[in-house]
Amino acid sequence: MEMAVNSVSPSEFDSSTPPESSEKNLQPFFILHKASSRSSHRRRIHLSPSKSVIKTDDLLLRMEAFQSVWSEIHSASKDVLRDINTSAFNDIYHWVRQSFHAITSYGMPGFGQATRSFPLLTHATSKQLFTGLVLTKNMEFVDDLLTFEELGLCLKSHGCHVANLSSTDFSAKNGIGGCLRSLLRQFLMVSLDAADMSILASWYREQGNYNSPLIVIVDDMERCCPSILSVFILTLSEWVVKIPIILIMGVATTLDAPRNILPSNVLQQLCPCKFVLGSPAERMDAVLEAALLRQCSMFCIGHKVAVFLRNYFLNQDGTVTSFIRALKIACAQHFYMEPLSFMAGALFEEDNQGFQGERNVLLEGMLKYASELSSPDSDTRAEQIDTTLTCRLRELKRLQKCWSSIVLCLYEAGKHKIRLLDIFCEALDPEAYNSVASDNHTGLGKGFGISTPSDPSMRQQCFTMRKGGFICQAIQKVRLLPEASLSQLLKSWENLTVDIYEIHDKVKELQSMVKLEEGRISKEDLTDICILCSNDRRHASWRRLNIESSKRINEKAASLIDCMVRDFLRPIECLPFHEIGCFRNVEKLQLALIGDPRRRVQLDLLEFHKILWCSCCSRSCNIPLPSMPDTSIMYTLAQEHGDLINLPEWFQSFKTIISHISTKGKRKTKQSMLPKKTKYINESEDKSEASIQARFCRAVTELQITGLIRMPTKRRPDCVQRVAFGL
Amino acid sequence: MGKEESPQVTRRTTRSSSSAANLDNVAEKTKAKDPPPPTLNDLLFGEEKPITLDDLLSSFPGRRVQILELLRILGPVNCPMLPVFIYGGTSTGKTSIILRIFAHLNRPFVYSSCLTCYSPRILFESVLDQLLLHRKSAANGYSSAKRCERPSDFVNFLREALTSILCNLQGNSGNLRSKKLEGQANGHMIYLIFDNLELVREWIKSNTMLPFLFNLYDILKMPEVGVIFISNTSPDTYYSCMGYVEPTPVYFPDYTEDNLRQIFMRNQSNKKLYSSFLDIVLKPFCRVTRRLDELSTAFSLLYKKYCEPLSDQGIVPNEDMKRRLFSQLQPHIASSLNEIFRVISLPSAEVGATKKPKRKDTTRKSGGCEVPDQLDFHMSTSAKYLLISAFLASRNPATLDASLFDSTGGSDSRKRKRKPSEKSKEHKETAEQESLMKGPGTFPLERLLAIFQCITSVAADEEEQENDGLGIQAGDNSLMSDVLLQLSSLCNASLIVKGGSCPLDGSTRYRSTVCEDMTLQVARSLKFPLSKYLYRG
Repeated sequence: MEMAVNSVSPSEFDSSTPPESSEKNLQPFFILHKASSRSSHRRRIHLSPSKSVIKTDDLLLRMEAFQSVWSEIHSASKDVLRDINTSAFNDIYHWVRQSFHAITSYGMPGFGQATRSFPLLTHATSKQLFTGLVLTKNMEFVDDLLTFEELGLCLKSHGCHVANLSSTDFSAKNGIGGCLRSLLRQFLMVSLDAADMSILASWYREQGNYNSPLIVIVDDMERCCPSILSVFILTLSEWVVKIPIILIMGVATTLDAPRNILPSNVLQQLCPCKFVLGSPAERMDAVLEAALLRQCSMFCIGHKVAVFLRNYFLNQDGTVTSFIRALKIACAQHFYMEPLSFMAGALFEEDNQGFQGERNVLLEGMLKYASELSSPDSDTRAEQIDTTLTCRLRELKRLQKCWSSIVLCLYEAGKHKIRLLDIFCEALDPEAYNSVASDNHTGLGKGFGISTPSDPSMRQQCFTMRKGGFICQAIQKVRLLPEASLSQLLKSWENLTVDIYEIHDKVKELQSMVKLEEGRISKEDLTDICILCSNDRRHASWRRLNIESSKRINEKAASLIDCMVRDFLRPIECLPFHEIGCFRNVEKLQLALIGDPRRRVQLDLLEFHKILWCSCCSRSCNIPLPSMPDTSIMYTLAQEHGDLINLPEWFQSFKTIISHISTKGKRKTKQSMLPKKTKYINESEDKSEASIQARFCRAVTELQITGLIRMPTKRRPDCVQRVAFGL
Repeated sequence: MGKEESPQVTRRTTRSSSSAANLDNVAEKTKAKDPPPPTLNDLLFGEEKPITLDDLLSSFPGRRVQILELLRILGPVNCPMLPVFIYGGTSTGKTSIILRIFAHLNRPFVYSSCLTCYSPRILFESVLDQLLLHRKSAANGYSSAKRCERPSDFVNFLREALTSILCNLQGNSGNLRSKKLEGQANGHMIYLIFDNLELVREWIKSNTMLPFLFNLYDILKMPEVGVIFISNTSPDTYYSCMGYVEPTPVYFPDYTEDNLRQIFMRNQSNKKLYSSFLDIVLKPFCRVTRRLDELSTAFSLLYKKYCEPLSDQGIVPNEDMKRRLFSQLQPHIASSLNEIFRVISLPSAEVGATKKPKRKDTTRKSGGCEVPDQLDFHMSTSAKYLLISAFLASRNPATLDASLFDSTGGSDSRKRKRKPSEKSKEHKETAEQESLMKGPGTFPLERLLAIFQCITSVAADEEEQENDGLGIQAGDNSLMSDVLLQLSSLCNASLIVKGGSCPLDGSTRYRSTVCEDMTLQVARSLKFPLSKYLYRG
């Protein structure tokens, strides 16, 4: 399908690409919808008159900011994805060592024995091939390509010989030779056209690699051609006594998969062991935490965007790769479209180097520039802004940090039950915040309401009142937490709220209370035991008391987090100057992510004049004209047909439209000339007939390639079938 | 004949027994970094200990007849032989016995397995390499001695190689007589062994390769060459009567229970204990399988279990202890039997229990309340719906689609279909059996998409009713958007199988391969009423 779209699209895009060099930077993200990027264009035009000193390199600045912010986010998410696998990798390495010892315990054959063609006669169990089945827990495989590569590197660093094979090596076309060839290519670094295992054996013996196992990693077992994979496994098991080979296979679905794919005599040879990688949801939360919450990159996404991303993740494409890609698109779009966004870069770098030197000068200019562009609801008295803007931006940054710390606190509270993505989405919702707050505090949305705290009791309702809301659930969980995990939770809160003094103190206070309580209880327990024998009833009352006191602490913790939510969980979109770092244009992202290519192809075929911008066709609405592209004419004509399109009829109507203009002038004369039937006219007619037929055929083929019609079947040779209906 | 043969044979082996010293020497040398250039001795089995006939017979219990038969066919030294075809089930000792026999006879042979040599070229080159005493190494770029792809080339090269090596052998045997050189091969015959011959049938060129291999003896016209085929299928499965002399068949039957007992009792340190263990397990397992490899993997695990309560492995069990051990092992036998029957693929649960990372049970949030989700891996919602619709399309007859997916849902269609089912129960039963035999049906893409659209629209309606304004709604339109992509990833995960190969051809049909349990899990995670839409014959 994608190919089809591409085959149609280049002409469209070429003709419509605005002649701006800057847009080329973003081109990879606009594979499908370049043509519709009008709005940003308009916006730029609208803004350009107000551009001041730094007008020329404004876009450059923003792109610079994008580079620095995105590289930070990217590296953070990469690190966290790597770290998430380390424990699983370590497990795998331990297992590899164990299996290697098990293999070598049968005795290592000498050189002559190992390179012989006939098998060593050993115990029957020695033919078992140690196999690690790595459950990737995601049907989509994209995320794990990198994982297995890293697993290979990790094992290599421990001194194993590693070869990574993928499903393309196990194709039926290349047969077993294909995968052996790529195996040898990776181990021996030579490419041979006649690859067989004896070569591997002699290489292994020759190099004196006795102390390390050979590890073969197959990325995606389900996608391999089953027959080739089973022959491969049989071959390996034949040689496993001579060459210590260990197999690692990625399984995307369930452990039943090998059983479904491989025949029994092959399964017999495997000695499997299961490993589990982190689920995509866990990884997603980790990436979200690292990329958007942990480090303050000044880039953030709006509520609608977050909800869209969440739904996209759940409904369409549950891969972390696509999530990161979506973030990147959002980030690039943001820095490209939002004039204020250049400040995000400056603010972000402020952390690193502070306002110094020429940066400082530059920043002043920026601030001036920013004052002209800043959000309409902020008061724009210039002289005030000049002086206060800097500190306000700092304030914005502080508030954003607070917000993310509170979200993380909530996540800690609801860990393993509530997903971070859900909390994140809910915490971003400005409507829930504003709906109540704006009634009482009209000044909040406008002006700089940062310093004025709005009525807490009212605002508290917005997040905590919402029944079934994730934040509410998280707070509820705090109430029910057992004691040990409560003190753990408080510890994590303590770490998270280091920057927020008010909360940090309260958390410390609560912690000390818990400690006190613990001490008391343990003492009581001691005395309890003494009392226990004498008075059972009193013990029960003690117990109840204890429970009550611990309940009290739980209640305190719950009210603390409640208070945190009330005071500090202000959605980014409710802060002034949020435009600097907050991307809110969900439509753009949607267009970039969900291509909906078939619909797009149909639309483009019908409304091609929007893309071609030719003067001749734009007037006609749905009436096919001969100047239109053939495929468009054909598709417009096809609209009149039902399920089946009669080919001769279609051709006839196509012909009449095509020949309309070329013969219109001559039509009269032609008819009068017809009876004469001179040879010359006949020839030219034949020619045009042939060319029309050729054009018709080409158009039909194009429609077929784009997946809109299906070629005639044997049963009905004169009809094509329409495949896609409606828009 | 066989009786006449055996004393002669033993005599020969005693002579070869003196070769041990030399072979040891060779083995030592090979341990050095630089491997020695291959010599004629590499065509021998290269056993460190000499094998007498008695050793040979005793190491393969229950195979006396076959061994003697083979020895008879191979004949005395320098005696020409007709091709032999050894066949029998997997793991009945065909390859081991023939290799041991050659170790015993100390005659040169060339072994190639059609499993390792997966194409004619590699098979030919492997045979030639061995005959030409060529070893692939880094020095020669891991290439073969001769590049040989066509059978005619192979015959020419083979003849050359054989004549040169036979010259060598004859010279050696001449030497042997005069100088009594030790460690040399007996006689000047050379034997070609082709193992796993059944695999050749699946090669692309099998229809020329098989007659060629069977004909090889006639083509070569060299009485000094013996050809031996090993296969796990009977000669009837090859196209015989193709104009070649049919090779002499030797059949290796499955082991009997007694044989298996003898085999398992070999090399056991604590014979009494193991015998009591075999008393328990051998009988039930023999009913399921008699394959030595299957049994030995199962037994090695079970024996560990059996010995677990014992502190001293060398203990001689008495009746009472046997009874206790039996009662302890009994629960494991059934499961192990079952595993062998269904074929084990994951004893990992036990084996890797110590190393395995802790598994968290996956619970997913959906719509505000918790749904325990048994589905072990992540699938996007639209993929789930697609999976369900594929399942429905595979199970339901296409004619019922209209009634199942009309606006009223599946509720009233049930009444309609109940009538005919009462009328003709037998007919229904046969149809049911038929559908069971046929497996899931195939369906075109359009039908799948239609069902998908129906069930997602129903689900979207229900969701809207349930939704209490959380602000987080499933974008119902967007479920449809890249459905083809989802379909392709389902195909890749082999949950849906695609028939036909041409992607542009509209007539590809799909088939759902998931079982009902898994579909139910998926449906449960979506809260989709699967049973409402499933037609039960």
